Amino acid sequence: MVTSQFPNWSSLAGVGEKALDLALRNVGTLAGRVLEGNVRLGVTGLRRAGKTVFVTSVIDNLLRGGRLPFMDVVAANRFLAARLRSSPNRETPRFTYEKYLAALTEAPPHWPAATASISQLRLAIRYVPSSSMRRSVQRIATLNVDIFDYPGEWLMDLPMLNQSYEEWSALTLEMVSRQPRRQLAARWLHWLGTASPDSNPDESTASEGAALYTEFLHACRRSQANLSLIQPGRFIEPGELAGTPLLTFCPLLPAGMLYRQNSLWGLMAERYEAYKNEVVRKFFVEHFARLDRQIVLVDVLGMLNAGPAALHDMRMSLTACLEAFRHGRGGWFDRLIGGQIDRVLFAATKADHIAASQHANLRNLLDMLVSEARNAIRFEGAMVDTMAIAAVKCTETVATEHQGRRLACVQGTPLGRQRPTVLFPGGIPDGPDLFPEDVTQPYRFLDFEPPAGVGRDGRGLPNIRLDQALNYLLGDYLA
Amino acid sequence: MSTANIRAASWLPPVEIEPSRPFESKSEVPRELDDSGAGVTGQAARLATLSIWSQRPWALPAFLGGIVALVVVALAFDAADLMGRSFAVSHALGVLVTVVLSVTVGTALKLAFDEMVAVRRLRQIDGLRVEADQLVAANGHGGGLAFTETMARFYGGRDDLASALQSLNNAVTDAHNDGEVVALIDRQVMAGIDQLAYASVLRASRDTALATALSPSAALDVAIVLWRNLKMVREVSTLYGARPGHFGCWRLMRRMLANLAVAGAAESVGHVAADVLGGSLAAAISSRLGQGMINGLLTARVGLAAMNLCRPISFTAENKPTLRRIRNELMSVPKDVL
Repeated sequence: MVTSQFPNWSSLAGVGEKALDLALRNVGTLAGRVLEGNVRLGVTGLRRAGKTVFVTSVIDNLLRGGRLPFMDVVAANRFLAARLRSSPNRETPRFTYEKYLAALTEAPPHWPAATASISQLRLAIRYVPSSSMRRSVQRIATLNVDIFDYPGEWLMDLPMLNQSYEEWSALTLEMVSRQPRRQLAARWLHWLGTASPDSNPDESTASEGAALYTEFLHACRRSQANLSLIQPGRFIEPGELAGTPLLTFCPLLPAGMLYRQNSLWGLMAERYEAYKNEVVRKFFVEHFARLDRQIVLVDVLGMLNAGPAALHDMRMSLTACLEAFRHGRGGWFDRLIGGQIDRVLFAATKADHIAASQHANLRNLLDMLVSEARNAIRFEGAMVDTMAIAAVKCTETVATEHQGRRLACVQGTPLGRQRPTVLFPGGIPDGPDLFPEDVTQPYRFLDFEPPAGVGRDGRGLPNIRLDQALNYLLGDYLA
Repeated sequence: MSTANIRAASWLPPVEIEPSRPFESKSEVPRELDDSGAGVTGQAARLATLSIWSQRPWALPAFLGGIVALVVVALAFDAADLMGRSFAVSHALGVLVTVVLSVTVGTALKLAFDEMVAVRRLRQIDGLRVEADQLVAANGHGGGLAFTETMARFYGGRDDLASALQSLNNAVTDAHNDGEVVALIDRQVMAGIDQLAYASVLRASRDTALATALSPSAALDVAIVLWRNLKMVREVSTLYGARPGHFGCWRLMRRMLANLAVAGAAESVGHVAADVLGGSLAAAISSRLGQGMINGLLTARVGLAAMNLCRPISFTAENKPTLRRIRNELMSVPKDVL
């Protein structure tokens, strides 16, 4: 527009300059092919936090780009397109995005089953750089985003890396001595009473203990209390390790000093160390090394449904897991693998289970729950933020009158039902008083079916604040 | 103790409401555009209710009103007299004078009406900005969708904004809170207008810079700057939907001058210092170019002030237009011309 009134006199300078310009551009394009940006996005979350659906929705939305108005690169019209690419890591299975998307979009739609093993996917995003200086060299830039999906149970192995068998046994036994675990572990505790840690290393005793302990872990997972601190994670999601001797150990009462070798205790401790080194360390070195960005998904609403014990458990699990990641400079895990995460986002998932007016309270609650981990990460020099998001939006917020009060409710089809309903799931308080003593079940957040025909408009799966989350996590890479 | 009581009073257990019962849809009842002088900010409202204002000065308005009334009456008498005399001379002349008179009166009324519409429009923008600021400050839920509809109606007749409004409509969902809705309007609708307005300001400031650098006399400088500034303000305000009339432009200019003078002394001192320093550097090379540069920068400042005044949603810290880019563009003018 400016040049239309004021002719660009320098354009008369000659054809040579133009040819040079063109040559530079070609070199730039070539360099751009080679110099592609890479970012490894860690999707962390305890089990049932919604990692798989989150990853599916992120990929679908980036591929279609129609529902991301808060991503700066999309808002500024610099986003060109995204494509799936084959992952550079050949050994890890591919994240079958198509399968999960089909599950969500077919009739009748359903949620993908729980994840049983690790998978990964690479997504290449083509965009126009925002700075004119960079544009003059590289007109179109590419960013490769590597995303992992894995069973949330495995994350709970992470704190074990920093514990010896003795420490781990003591911590687990302390935890089991309290409700609700005590009741669930009754059979294993009985076995523990009979098995002497000083006795001869007997394979059948060991496998009996491990089997009973595994049974206890499964009971924890099934229980109404929605427990998250379930260690070791491979006992319940063994992946490719099912039935190997690596998984035949369990915590024991401490043995006498004389019996540390050549005893049941010795056998268990040896296997614990082997599990740590060959399973846990290998997994995290291979897949969590060099993470650049991390999103921690937290199912706050599920925890509120389950009660104070679950909330406490989740808080402990999160703090324990996050200690291991390297944020900013110098977490202990970093000394093992190297790598640095400079941005972390804590996201309360399934925000569509509550009315939109409650999102602010949900976010405040999450703030409160992760405050310890957040401060630690900030102290290390990484950026931290919190958000209330929903990877797939299944409900509408509607207003109703109920007993003379105006309520903000959600409307959707609850899981396992055919017809939509209007639900007031209980308000999230804005203070720390979460569980009033005089009420037995203060919250009833129902899970919802994916809405029929979701994503059929080709704009990507409907979501809540997925764009803001992505902008926070990837925005500066796409500048 | 007290918080527990409050909680018990307002707390409601989870409840499933009968699906058969009718419920209200997500969109609220559309509200009418508020044009009842809603451009009063909280501070101004507080100022207006101060008791010292109750002793209104009545003499001066009455005096001025009297003079205006007298002039109007005199003009009416003159017009009637004129008509009578021309009819006395000849019937044809009388008809001609009547036609000329009615055309004059008619156009005067039309102009006055246009001005009123323009002023109303400007007030509407003020009202929208106040509403948007309140929505962002409260960051609640429920007001955003109604505000989107208000904005869609405000820009409803604009063909150039139809696609932006459509994409805004697609982007806003019931899950966004009010602050997010305002941010979306900012991104989807305002950003496009901002670009055009910024280009217009840039053009005007380059024009003034060049023209005053080349013009031979100071009087011509003043005329050029004034004319170009008025044209720019008109362009910018039309882009934002303010559509001011001729007097409206003057009103806007006056408000902008006040704005320029008042808006953050520190900020303007800093800018002017930098501008003048930059200008003086150029002036060392050529006093004419330096003069042009300063005129261009002042034009740009007026333009940016006009953008601030005409925008229905306040600029945020991130998207606030800055003088820096304009200054860089102006610095390249001599290079391009010479």
